[in-house]
Amino acid sequence: MNREEAPGKSPEDMYVQQKVRVLLMLKKMGSNLTPSEEAFLRNYAGVVHSQMSQLPQHNIDQGAEDVVMAFSRSEAEDRRQ
Amino acid sequence: NLQEINREGSLCYIENVAEWQQTYYASDSGIQSGATTVLDDESSTEYSGCKKYIGSTTTAPLQVIHYSLTRAQRVRAAMFPETLVEGEEAMPVQSDPSQQSNVQRLAEPSQLLKTAIVHLINYQDDAELATRAVPELTKLLADEDPIVVNKAAMIVNQLTRKEASRRVLVQSPAMVGAVVRAMTMAVDIETARCTASVLHSLSHQKEGLLAIFKSGGIPALVRMLSSPVESILFYAITTLHNLLLHQEGAKMAVRLADGLQRIVPLLKKSNPKFLAITTDCLQLLSYGNQESKLIILANGGPGGLVFITRNYNYEKLLWTTSRVLKVLSVCPSNKPAIVEAGGMQALGQHLTGSSQRLIQNCLWTLRNLSDAATKQDGLDGLLQILVAQLGSDDVNMLTCATGILSNLTCNNSRNKTLVTQYGGVEALIHAVLRAGEKEDVAEPAVCALRHLTSRHQDSELAQNAVRLHYGIPAVVKLLGQPHYWPVVKATVGLIRNLALCPANQAPLREAGAIPRLVNLLLKAHQDTQRHASSAQQTYQDGVRMEEIVEGCTGALHILARDPMNRGEIASMQTIPLFVQLLYSYVENVKRVSAGVLCELALDKQSAELIDAEGASAPLMELLHSNNEGIATYAAAVLFRISEDKSSDYRKRVSVELTHSLFKHDPAAWEMVRRDAGMTPTKEDTAK
Repeated sequence: MNREEAPGKSPEDMYVQQKVRVLLMLKKMGSNLTPSEEAFLRNYAGVVHSQMSQLPQHNIDQGAEDVVMAFSRSEAEDRRQ
Repeated sequence: NLQEINREGSLCYIENVAEWQQTYYASDSGIQSGATTVLDDESSTEYSGCKKYIGSTTTAPLQVIHYSLTRAQRVRAAMFPETLVEGEEAMPVQSDPSQQSNVQRLAEPSQLLKTAIVHLINYQDDAELATRAVPELTKLLADEDPIVVNKAAMIVNQLTRKEASRRVLVQSPAMVGAVVRAMTMAVDIETARCTASVLHSLSHQKEGLLAIFKSGGIPALVRMLSSPVESILFYAITTLHNLLLHQEGAKMAVRLADGLQRIVPLLKKSNPKFLAITTDCLQLLSYGNQESKLIILANGGPGGLVFITRNYNYEKLLWTTSRVLKVLSVCPSNKPAIVEAGGMQALGQHLTGSSQRLIQNCLWTLRNLSDAATKQDGLDGLLQILVAQLGSDDVNMLTCATGILSNLTCNNSRNKTLVTQYGGVEALIHAVLRAGEKEDVAEPAVCALRHLTSRHQDSELAQNAVRLHYGIPAVVKLLGQPHYWPVVKATVGLIRNLALCPANQAPLREAGAIPRLVNLLLKAHQDTQRHASSAQQTYQDGVRMEEIVEGCTGALHILARDPMNRGEIASMQTIPLFVQLLYSYVENVKRVSAGVLCELALDKQSAELIDAEGASAPLMELLHSNNEGIATYAAAVLFRISEDKSSDYRKRVSVELTHSLFKHDPAAWEMVRRDAGMTPTKEDTAK
């Protein structure tokens, strides 16, 4: 059933909108959904459609950033040849 | 005699000079041949009155001086009558043979000198002659007449060619001082060249170096570095080099005389042998001296050194230059300048030649520079060479190659893709296997693999490649005892990335990753709890245990995506700990623990356990997190544990979630609350 998703409607609509967003975010971050959660998304395909464009574009959870190693803390001993 | 100074570390300038001569000298100055023909100075035409006089002095009688001539003219007349210009002819003096005139008395030392010259010309080595000549020559070097000074300088230069006479010269501080002054005050190039040559000769012995040093020779030689005459430059830099090598206090003296400011511009010269000496001077002056390094930077040193590295093939020069770059590469200010000047690319040109010492120096320098080069372009060739060097058995080479690759793949997706395409994954796995307990190899190798397995277009390829090249058991093994925490930290991060690939989940489980991670997590967490009361962060091998907690939980989070792994993780009684971690003050720890609970909550049994542990309270708090990832995981866990709960509970979750979504839009929040029939709270009005 497609529903209007304009914010400020009923609490039930709010709940659906939030849950759809949370589930879409989970998927975006690579997490799994339960079968009932997948069904929920199929049920509210219209809301899904409108929420998709509002998801942040960047990847949310990519783990710790790369960090450089500082090798030049001490001068390597010089041996004159 | 010149050969005897070829000590360890000093460049063989004898051959340099020979070659130098071929390039620059029109005539034999006597340096190599030891010829005594230096007295004729046809190489210089800068001043008049200078003629060949070989042979003419052997038979010249004692000259009688005209009273009206100046002392200089009289001395010149006595010594070198052929140089007299018109109007200065000698005239006989009427005198009583028993009573010498003042002039005649003055002339006598000159006569002695002339005799000395005569003997020298006739190849007679006599220290005694030199001894008698030295005081007179010292005076003449300070004469007002530049021609006299010039002649005296040439004679002294000649005296330095013979060991016996040179020894006499060196023992006279007054003489050496006079040479230094004559060089400084020289109005003609020939005198400057001659005196510089004298100092150069003297600098081959310890006593000579000391004499030059004590006579203020260093500031004088530094000034000569501005000379436009190549031969003077050569003498000056070589003499300074000898001083820097063998004379205590010379480095400080050169620095005080602003030597670096004069030496760095010489990098623009084009003679490779000259440049080799120049760069060696820079290395001697800057090693361990931060101020010197900054002066070199301020005078364009990095650019000049990189230019040489890029454009020359003379091995000795490349080696001395690489040594200066190595010294500068530990300086935080020089590092970016060297990188900006193209230092990485230039050094990378010399990694496949035949000079091992050059390759090793370039590698150490590249390693030092690498953390400042993560955004450099054009390193494709270098990356390829480094991947190939991962096959080496030389531990120095491995240390450098892994280190450089680790840094160059840091936050650089293009480099990551290139290294993956060049077969870097397999090569790094082999390096890890060969590293054993050598942390200087293992840590950067694992870090590099961690970089390759995330955040670029071929990260999935890399994740698969680790498994395909039998890397998973080797990687998991790195978590075992004895723990070197930087390696453990890097390995945990790598395992997290590997688990992103579904095909790796089972192999990781089979290799025993899960119990190892859980045990590490427990150990690290206990450590942080032990020190929590003292409000002190503990470091082990430079790693905080909070970082291990975060890393292990993060890896378990991704591993928990697999149903069997999920079960194994939950079966190890980890849920209470994960719930406790929700209270961590470290945001990342909150994120990963909410994340792992989110995955575990997919299983009903685990969801109930999570609820039983009282996770709802901290999770409700986390709904308000500014971090959208944290809020999402928290909401997901709450949804999952509230599936079977009452509608009131679910409504409360919804309200809390709505609250967090609209916390920046109070008006909208008010509308929602009115619709839901809720009364405003104090908390809300404060927002």
